[in-house]
Amino acid sequence: MSAILEIKHLRKQFGGVVAVDDNNFNVERGTRLGIIGPNGAGKTTTFNMIAGFFKPTSGRIEFEGRRIDGMKPHRISQLGIGRTFQNVRAFRELSVFDHVLAGSLAHEFHLKPSAQQLEHVEQILEWTALSPFRDQLVRSLTIAAQRRIELATALATKPKLLLLDELMAGLTFVEIDQMLDLLGMVNEKMGITLIVVEHVMKAVMAICKRIVVLSYGRIIAEGSPQEITTNKTVIEAYLGEEESYA
Amino acid sequence: METTLQASNKKKAVRRGVLIAAGVVVVLLIVPQVASEYITYVAVLAMLYAVLAGSYDLLPGYTGPLTFCHGAFYGIGAYSSALLTMKAGIPFWVALPMSGIIVFLFAALIGYPALRLKGHYFAVTTFFLGHFIYLVILNSISLTNGPMGLRGISPPESVLGIDFTSLQASYYLILTFSVGVIVLLMLFVRSGFGKLLVSIRENEDLAQAIGINTAFCKVLTFSISAGIAGLTGSLFAHFFRLLHPTTFAWMTSEMVVIMSLVGGLGTLIGPIIGAGIVTLILELMRFAPEMRFIIWSVALIAVLVIEPGGLMGLVRRVRGGKR
Repeated sequence: MSAILEIKHLRKQFGGVVAVDDNNFNVERGTRLGIIGPNGAGKTTTFNMIAGFFKPTSGRIEFEGRRIDGMKPHRISQLGIGRTFQNVRAFRELSVFDHVLAGSLAHEFHLKPSAQQLEHVEQILEWTALSPFRDQLVRSLTIAAQRRIELATALATKPKLLLLDELMAGLTFVEIDQMLDLLGMVNEKMGITLIVVEHVMKAVMAICKRIVVLSYGRIIAEGSPQEITTNKTVIEAYLGEEESYA
Repeated sequence: METTLQASNKKKAVRRGVLIAAGVVVVLLIVPQVASEYITYVAVLAMLYAVLAGSYDLLPGYTGPLTFCHGAFYGIGAYSSALLTMKAGIPFWVALPMSGIIVFLFAALIGYPALRLKGHYFAVTTFFLGHFIYLVILNSISLTNGPMGLRGISPPESVLGIDFTSLQASYYLILTFSVGVIVLLMLFVRSGFGKLLVSIRENEDLAQAIGINTAFCKVLTFSISAGIAGLTGSLFAHFFRLLHPTTFAWMTSEMVVIMSLVGGLGTLIGPIIGAGIVTLILELMRFAPEMRFIIWSVALIAVLVIEPGGLMGLVRRVRGGKR
């Protein structure tokens, strides 16, 4: 298998604060990688650098063998990296259909949306269980639906790699299960590589085959979910001293 | 089922809109035949302002950034066109598109760096840009004749035997131009590009994340909007055949903003209706020129407090639709 994304000696400094410190990891094509870590560990900063919203202080990011660090976000998106945001971002005054269509138009521009495009959008709405809401305004929907809209819009840009930043935050258990099914389909049927930043442990453990653990900007562990849950350094990072876990 | 119902409602609304628009156009067609010369002049002003307000809406209404320099672009267009015909001897029909292109390029040049600024910072920049342009027009006496005004602008050359020195012919020229531009603006905001612009207005970060080159789209829209103001200025110059810098001072830019707010930003038709209403009220208040600023400010604040969506917001609320 080949790596779709390679992170080499990635570092980001905000003034005197080192948010991400000399990180290295690869993501294999078609896999699902989880990034976890306590608050402020540098997970979202890493995402923002991959997606082009922050320029790394040093290091390189390669996507399909091509250097992308320092590129503008829209260029990176056009190369095939989609993302969702930690706090829901949405085109609130658009209908659900137009919201997803915007993603499709941004990827492949037509003055008048093509028939294939409209069909593709309908299909994505079907997959993400948004069809019943297609003509409603995005702002009138629940958080769970808005998160699915964000995902659906990212899918409409036909990404090869998706960065999902706390997609499960604020969802109920039932909604989390639905989202997990959806992500399984996105990965297996559509062949999209996933990188997931998540605080809902159950979700990370369920979807990811490999997990990277960050703490204070550094990678402190990397491995399968089983390896991570039994890793002493990881438990210390989350819970503090040794005595504190039973 | 619900969607088919909504679709038929939408169709009905569109049909009603087309009917109303057709009615307005018919009235405007009759005006110079039945009304006095004065009313014809007021109708011309209203149409020019309608195009200005409609083109203004592209940026603050559809794309997001607020500007305060539309009147200055209008002025550059007017002076470019007048000077091209007077000093370079270029015919009006060539000077008209040229003045549009000149203002388009000028706005692109300014917009490229200025649109990197966000929100209020950009708005304030355009405010000073507008005033700066006014000062340049006012003080370039050798070119623009400054505060003495520019006289002797030629009317459009006759085409197909139509003589534009007559009031009626030039009235119909401006009517054709206004209807044409407004139809094009409607197609523009409904196109795929219009959808990309609205997504930038709604959330610029997300728009970038799905692959929209937001900087490019904003500069392009700013320039198109300015270019249309330039064309409108050119028509203004050759209709009234007299230019004065104060016509393009701060007050005009502000008027366009007020018209758009009164009508409802981001609806296109709102600012156009707003232009008609505001022009009419301005004329009615000619008896007390000092009072109108006060009445105006109070009216504007009232609109913003009572219905920030303007007239179109009010229409939506009365209809009780969820939009």
